[in-house]
Amino acid sequence: MTGNSDNILEISSIEVMYDSVISALHDVSLNVPRGKIVALLGGNGAGKSTTLKSISTMLAAERGKVTKGSIVYDGTEVKNQSPYEMVALGMVQVLEGRRCFGHLTVEENIIAGAYSRKLSKSQIKNELEKIYGYFNRLRDRRKSQAGFTSGGEQQMIAVARAMMAKPKMLLLDEPSMGLAPQLVAEIFNIVKELNEKEGVSILLAEQNTNVALRNADYGYIIETGHVMLHGSADKLLNDEKVKELYLGISKEGRKNFRDVLREEGTKKLA
Amino acid sequence: MTEVLFFIEVVVAGLLAGTMYSLVALGFVLIYKASSTFNFAQGAMVFFAVLAFVGFMELGLSFPVAFVVTVLLMVLVGLCTERLVLNPLMNQSEDTLLMATIGLGFVLEGLAQAAWGVEVRRLDLGIGDFPIEWIIDVFGLFVSALDLTAGIVAAVLIIGLALLFKYTRMGLGLRAVADDPGAASSIGIPLKNIMLLVWSAAGVVALVAGMMWGARAGVQFALVDLALKALPVLIIGGFSSIPGAIVGGLIIGATEKVLEVYLGPFFGGAIEGWAPYVLAIFFLLYRPEGLFGEKIIRRV
Repeated sequence: MTGNSDNILEISSIEVMYDSVISALHDVSLNVPRGKIVALLGGNGAGKSTTLKSISTMLAAERGKVTKGSIVYDGTEVKNQSPYEMVALGMVQVLEGRRCFGHLTVEENIIAGAYSRKLSKSQIKNELEKIYGYFNRLRDRRKSQAGFTSGGEQQMIAVARAMMAKPKMLLLDEPSMGLAPQLVAEIFNIVKELNEKEGVSILLAEQNTNVALRNADYGYIIETGHVMLHGSADKLLNDEKVKELYLGISKEGRKNFRDVLREEGTKKLA
Repeated sequence: MTEVLFFIEVVVAGLLAGTMYSLVALGFVLIYKASSTFNFAQGAMVFFAVLAFVGFMELGLSFPVAFVVTVLLMVLVGLCTERLVLNPLMNQSEDTLLMATIGLGFVLEGLAQAAWGVEVRRLDLGIGDFPIEWIIDVFGLFVSALDLTAGIVAAVLIIGLALLFKYTRMGLGLRAVADDPGAASSIGIPLKNIMLLVWSAAGVVALVAGMMWGARAGVQFALVDLALKALPVLIIGGFSSIPGAIVGGLIIGATEKVLEVYLGPFFGGAIEGWAPYVLAIFFLLYRPEGLFGEKIIRRV
C-alpha cells in the first residue's frame, strides 16, 4: 500500500525517551511532501538527530524508543522494524559525522551501499557510473582508502553510498558539519540535483540555517524537543524571528525562541 | 652441516605447526572484527567440533559424510549463538559480550562431553606423524607428513577465506560491519546475517584445527587450552588483522619449537607451553597494537 497521500513521511506528536528515563523529544510533528526537500533546523541538543533516528529506527541501537505518537512512512507505520527493513522500504539515513568505512576504498564504500539490493556485477557497474555522474570528484579517488580522504569527500562518499541503496527518501544528518563554505555549497548542489533528477524526497537536519533554507522547500525549527515554528523556506528566510535567532541579524538580549515567545506573550498581556 | 640441517628441521616443523595456530587465530579475528569481542568460546568450539566429528565416525559415518555433518552442526551452533546469545545482547557493552562468550564456552564443553563422553579418543586421518621419504632424499630434512598436511590445509583455508572477504558481497558486508557496525546497518547491511557468517566460518576453522591437533595428541579436553595459544598469536599479530593472525601464528610456531629445542634443557624442558606468552608480554610492552594491528585512521 504505497501511500496515496501527498506526504511520503508523516510524523505526529512523537515523544522519544533514551534508556526509558531521558526524554529527548517531547512533541514533534512534521510532514515531508513527496519529492520535496524539508529542513529540520535547530541548535545542538535540539533533537534533530533523535528525530531522524526515530524515523530510520537507528534509535534502538542507542537504547532509545518512541514512546508516544506515530511515524508513517510511505503508507507503512514505523514501529519495530530494523534499519535493514527500512532500507528495503527505500528509507536511508546518512548518519551525522559521515561514518565512512575508513579501511575500505572509496569505491568499496559506495558499492557497500547497494548491499541490500543484491545486484549483479554489471548492474553494480552501471549504478556506479550513474553515481559518479553526480559525484565527479569521487571518480578520481575511487581506489583511495576512504579514511584518508578529505572531510568533503567523506561526506560525498556517505551520500553516494546511501544513494546506491536506491532510496525513495533520504535522511541527511548535518551534511555541512565541519566543512568549508564552498564545499558545503558543492554538497548542497549535489543534494538538490539528486532530489530533482532522482526524485528522492529529503529530510535534512542542519545547524547551518541559511544554506539549508536556501536549498529546501519547507522548514521546521525545533528547540529542546519541541517544534517551535514551521513554514515554507522562503517564509522562514524572511521571518524576523528566524533572521534574528538563526541568521545572526540580532536584537539584544533574546537568545532563543522561548524568550521571543515569552516577550511576545508579555506584550500581548500588556 | 648437520647442525644447520637440524636447525632448519626445527624451524620448518615449527612453521608448519604454526599454521594451525594461524588458523585458530583467524577464527578469533573474524569474530573480533565483526563484533569487537574476544571469543573465549573458540577453544571450546575446537573441542566440540572435533569430538562431534569423531563421534559421528564412531556411529559408522564415512569420513566425508561425518565431515559434512559436523560442518552443518557448526553452522547450527553459529546460528544458535547468534539467535540465543548475541541477538538478545545486541547494543550491550563489549564486556557483556565477552562474559557471554566465556559462558558459551562452558556450555559447549558441557554439551560435547554430555553427548560423547569424556574419554580421550583417537583420530586416525590416515596420515602418519612420520617423515616423508622424498623430502629426506632431496633435501636431507625430516619433515612430518602430518605437519606438512596441516600446513597445506591451513594455507588453503586461509587463502579461501581471504578471497571470500575480498571479492564477495558477503565479504564486503563483513568488512563494512567490522569497520563501523552502525554505518553498515544504516545502509541496510543486516548485522545478524553477517554474525551468522562469521560464527559459521569460525566453527569450520575450529573443526579443521581440532582434527589436525586431535590426530596428533588425541581428541581430548586439553584441546581447549591449546586453542587459547591463539591469544599470544593475536597479541603479536594484532587482533583485527587477518595477515597478522597468519604471520603471528608462524612466529609463535617457529619460536616455541626453536626455544624448546635450544633453551628447553636449561629450564628442564616443556617451555613450549609458556614461551609464547613471554614473547607476547614483550609485544604488549613495546608494540601493543601488534605487528599488523590496524592503526586507527583518524583525521586531525
